[in-house]
Amino acid sequence: MTATGDTGTAEPVCGEVRTCLLQTSLSLTASAAEELLRLREDERVRLSERPNLHAVSPDVLTGVDCRLPTGSGARVRAIGTVAARAVLTEGRVLQATAYFRAAGAGPEQRQPWGHYLVRPGVLEPFGGLPVRAVADGILAGTRQAGELDLGAVSERLLTAVLRHQLLDQRPPFKSRRTRLRWVALRTRDGQAPSIRRFTLAADGLRTVELRVPEEIAPAAVAGLCEDLALHDWLLTTLVRMVERSRPGSADGYAVVTALRPAVDHLLHLWMPRARVAGALSPLWEVLEREPGFTRQWQTLVQRIRDQLALQAIPLPREALTAR
Amino acid sequence: MLVFAASDKGGTGRSVTSANLAYRRALAGDDVCYLDFDFGSPTAAAVFDVPGALRGIEAGGLHTYLQGKVSEPERIDVWAETEHEVLRHRPTGSGNLVLLPGDRSGGEFAVGRDALRRCVDLLLRLNAEFDLVVVDLSAGRSYAVDMALEATSRPAMRGVEARWLVYHRWTRQHVIAAAGLVFGDRGIVAGGVDRGHDAERLRGAIRFVRAAVPDPESPLWSQVPPPQSAWMRKCDQDLDELAADLEAGFSMVLGSVPLEPVLQWREQLITDEDVLASKVANMETRQALEELAAKLTDHESWGAT
Repeated sequence: MTATGDTGTAEPVCGEVRTCLLQTSLSLTASAAEELLRLREDERVRLSERPNLHAVSPDVLTGVDCRLPTGSGARVRAIGTVAARAVLTEGRVLQATAYFRAAGAGPEQRQPWGHYLVRPGVLEPFGGLPVRAVADGILAGTRQAGELDLGAVSERLLTAVLRHQLLDQRPPFKSRRTRLRWVALRTRDGQAPSIRRFTLAADGLRTVELRVPEEIAPAAVAGLCEDLALHDWLLTTLVRMVERSRPGSADGYAVVTALRPAVDHLLHLWMPRARVAGALSPLWEVLEREPGFTRQWQTLVQRIRDQLALQAIPLPREALTAR
Repeated sequence: MLVFAASDKGGTGRSVTSANLAYRRALAGDDVCYLDFDFGSPTAAAVFDVPGALRGIEAGGLHTYLQGKVSEPERIDVWAETEHEVLRHRPTGSGNLVLLPGDRSGGEFAVGRDALRRCVDLLLRLNAEFDLVVVDLSAGRSYAVDMALEATSRPAMRGVEARWLVYHRWTRQHVIAAAGLVFGDRGIVAGGVDRGHDAERLRGAIRFVRAAVPDPESPLWSQVPPPQSAWMRKCDQDLDELAADLEAGFSMVLGSVPLEPVLQWREQLITDEDVLASKVANMETRQALEELAAKLTDHESWGAT
C-alpha cells in the first residue's frame, strides 16, 4: 500500500482529537488504565511507564461512505474506514483521536467491503482527490449534513470511555474539553516537517496544519497532534484555574482551595515531546519559540507557587487587611 | 451538581425563578449551565433575553440532540449573546453562563433507549464542565421528568450529585398538586423507586420552592383594613398546616420567593440594577433569590429528612 511517485505527495492525513480530564477523583493506576482502554478483546492496550504513564487503546474502525468536507464546495465522495483510539496520560487526561489517510485517487465505483477492510484507517475517494480543498474543509469550523464528521467519531469514543464503571464521576475540578482538528500534507523528498498554522478559536477549537515527510506513519502524526492537544489543554485549563482563583482577592483561603487541584493533578503532567516520533519533534521547537508553550506554562506554575507561598506566610493582621 | 426544576402546574414561575438562580450563581463566580428541557414550550431564552432563540431555536437544540440528529446540542453564551442591557456587561469574577436551548417545534416525545443514553452522556459532560447544571423540566409528570429520573438512576451517574426543586404557588390547589407530584402514586419518588432509586436518598434530594408568596407582614399590605389583614394571616397559617400535613412543610422547603411583579409580568432576570437603580423590583425578591441560590449547595439545607 505504499504510494509511489508523485501520487504519494497527495495523500494527506487528517484527524481530530478531543481532550478532557478523566472524570474520577484519583488518577488511574497502570492496570486500571489498561482496563479502561481495552476497547477490543483481540488487541492489547499499549502501556508505557517512562517517562510518564501513557496508555493507548487499540484502534477501533468506523466504516464510512460519505462526502468529505471541502473548502471549495466540491463534492468528493469517499469510502473506507476511519481509525479511532483513546489515550490516557498519567491516568488523568483522556484523549480520543479519529483519523484517516486519504488515498490520492480511488476506483470510480464502490468496491466490496473487504477491499476497504484490508486498508484500515484509509479513505478512498471516487476518482481524484482535491487535496487543498479537502484540507480546508477538514479544518473549517462547520460541517454540512452528510459530510464526514471526525469530531463525532472521536466524541463517540470519548463518551463511551467516560461512561466506564471504573470512573466515579467525581473529578477534582471542573474543566472544559478542547478539540484539535489537524491536517498533515505530505512533503516531497527530504523536506523537513513544518507547522503551517496553529490557531485557537474561542469555543475550544484548535486547528493545525502540518507538512510531514511521507514515510512517517499516520499513527505517528496522530501521536504528535495528541501531544500538542494535551499540552494545549493543560495550558487552557491552568489559565482558567488561575483566573477563577481570583488572585489578589481578600479571601486567601479561597485562593488556596482553588489552586490546590493544580498542584495535586496538573503540574506534573507537563512533558512536551514525551511521545513524539523523533523525526517530528523539531515541530515542538517551533511552538516553543512562538507562541512559547513552556514559557507560558512556567509563568503560570510560578504564579501558583507564589500564591501558595504567600498564603502560607502568617502575616501580621495589618499587612493582610491593608489594601 | 445537577439541579432539576419541576412543577406540577404551569405558571409557578419555575423557569423564571430557576433562571434567576442560575444567574445568581454565575454572578458569584460559578460556571453555570441552563438546559431547557421544557419540551412543550421552550422559553428559557426569553428569560435570558437571547435573540433568535426566544421560543426555542430552529434546529440543533436539545430535542435534535436527544433524537440523535446532531452530535452536540447548540450552546448559547448568555453573557455574550444577550440583548439585556445589564447582562451584556459581564462582571469581573463571574462564571460562565451558558444556555442550551430547546427546539422551537420540539414538543414532548417518548424517551427511547438511545435518547436516554444521549441524555446521560450530556449530563455527564456538562457536570464535568460546570459547577451547576440547572435542568428546567416540563410541568407535570412529563416525559422530561421520566427521563431525568431514568438518567440519574444509571450506574454511570451514581457519582453525580443531583437535586430536585419542585415549584408551586402558595395556594391550596398548588400545594396539593405539588405534594402529589412528589409523593403521589405516580409521583417523582414512586417513579424514582421504580427505576432503582433509593427512596430515602431521593426524598432527601427533593425540596419545595414556594413561589409568588404574598407576605401578610409586608409593607405592601400594611394599609389593608384589620379584618382583611387577619383573614390573610389565617389563610397563610392554614396553608402552612396543609403543607405540613402533606409532607411539604417547613423541613421540605428550600425557600420562598415573594409575589413580585417583575417576575410575574416581565418574566426576566432580576438584576441589581432593577432593585437598586430603577427600583422596579423589590429588595426582598432579590434577597430571596440570593438565599435560594446559596442554599442550592448548602449542606445544612439538604440531606434525608
